[in-house]
Amino acid sequence: MSDAPIVNEFNQGPISCHAFNGDRTELAICFNTNVLTIFRKSGASWTQTSTLAEHDKPITSVDWAPRSNRIVTCSQDRNAYVWTLDGATSHWKPTLVLLRINRAATFVRWSPEEDKFAVASGSRCISVCYFEEDNDWWVGKHIKKPIRSTVLSLDWHPNNVLLAAGCADMKARVFSAFIKGIDKKPAPSPWGEKLPFNTVCGEFSNGAGGWIHSVAFSPNGESLAFTGHDSTITVVSPGTGDIQSIRAPFLPYLSVIYLNESQIVAAGHDCAPHLFELKGQQWAFSGSMDAAVKKADVGITARDTFRLMDSRAQSATSADTKVHTHHQNTINSIRPFSGAPGNVEQFSTSAIDGKLIIWNAHSISRGLGNMHI
Amino acid sequence: MSNTLRPYLNAVRQTLTAAMCLENFSSQVAERHNKPEVEVRASKEVLLNPVIISRNDKERVLIETSVNSLRLSIAIKQADEIERILAHKFTRFLTQRAESFVILRRKPIEGYDISFLITNAHTEQMYKHKLVDFIIQFMEEVDKEISEMKLSLNSRARIVSESYLSQFN
Repeated sequence: MSDAPIVNEFNQGPISCHAFNGDRTELAICFNTNVLTIFRKSGASWTQTSTLAEHDKPITSVDWAPRSNRIVTCSQDRNAYVWTLDGATSHWKPTLVLLRINRAATFVRWSPEEDKFAVASGSRCISVCYFEEDNDWWVGKHIKKPIRSTVLSLDWHPNNVLLAAGCADMKARVFSAFIKGIDKKPAPSPWGEKLPFNTVCGEFSNGAGGWIHSVAFSPNGESLAFTGHDSTITVVSPGTGDIQSIRAPFLPYLSVIYLNESQIVAAGHDCAPHLFELKGQQWAFSGSMDAAVKKADVGITARDTFRLMDSRAQSATSADTKVHTHHQNTINSIRPFSGAPGNVEQFSTSAIDGKLIIWNAHSISRGLGNMHI
Repeated sequence: MSNTLRPYLNAVRQTLTAAMCLENFSSQVAERHNKPEVEVRASKEVLLNPVIISRNDKERVLIETSVNSLRLSIAIKQADEIERILAHKFTRFLTQRAESFVILRRKPIEGYDISFLITNAHTEQMYKHKLVDFIIQFMEEVDKEISEMKLSLNSRARIVSESYLSQFN
């Protein structure tokens, strides 16, 4: 019906992270503060239903488990909380998680089976947390070696055991987060066979070096894609031994997801999601998913254009303040919105301009695919 | 002479656009702290290589970046003693009001006349491309202002000396 992206403006400040619930009727957003706000969908807009305030420093990441309906938040105050909904009072009850880290937590994700979650932190470790029945609390086991700097992002493998981490020491690593008692032995995969906790199944770096901002496993778990600060996306497939680095002539990407086995969407400092496609065996940049919203230039004469070019080396008109994309500032998070995990149809992006936009995956690629000479 | 201005400003603009990719980053050294890493310089891996862009040996720009902050230092063209005094007074006027200026640093880096410190908080509140536009405009206008001040200084000196010496005629 509408190919155009659905823009939701909240006007409450920059969005640091967002998460939808299982059926996409509720939305958890943090506006760069210590408080998590829950919205409920009413018609075409979102109404605020509750605020979850327990952290004392800005919340850095949030994740909502679709089946068990639990929210996990982590923040710069070294804590993480698991929130469960009390059905009777509709009140979200927090449970403190014992992360045992002594620096800020930067990123958190539930595992595919939702029985554990991993928290990346600035204390150079990843805390894999699971629920201990006898003591009735969430406890964390640390993955420490060989991480040398803040871990910036995480992604779980579909088999619930492998965990990819992107780090500020310029390396993307795949670890085993196998917890005895919670996990069953995983099927052998191209990443490794016997996988006790904290085994490094692979360590990769980008072409020119650069902090790894985001990692993503492909839907079948055979490949790993990660983006670095040197504006490259690297796709690694240990099964075939194939490592491909795509150098994008754009600003670095902060977040990346797989739409399906042959399409990757990445977004970051360029304020628009970019599509990368697998053609044959080669990954290549396909185009921006944001059809630029160009305003008609009013009142700028040719003389002014050349004068600006000569005196200030400005090639565009300086009169307009808005950027020609839907998002006006850096996008920091992409999440799949609808469609099966292997075939994402819509995805949502949140950015520092305070907007949350839901994009359609297929219309753009169809449009791009129709362009031929 | 001014045919080097455009490539110079172009280079500064492109480097600044790339350097202004900042994000929120909590300190790795002290818990619960969030400081501009380019000022603290405690963790080497979050600092990027500094870049110097020179138009000639007198005019140059130093750009130092890190994961959550960027420091830009400008060396203004000062050809003679008068221009040196004028540039010093001008930058002093600005740096004494650094709080309202927001992105200005109170003390310039060694070897430069004025420094800006831009952090991820600033890029969250302001448009990045307009910040870059502002810096380029600033660089262009500082030279113009100092030349204007020098001209008005010289013409005032001439008027004053004429009116003084005319009484001896």
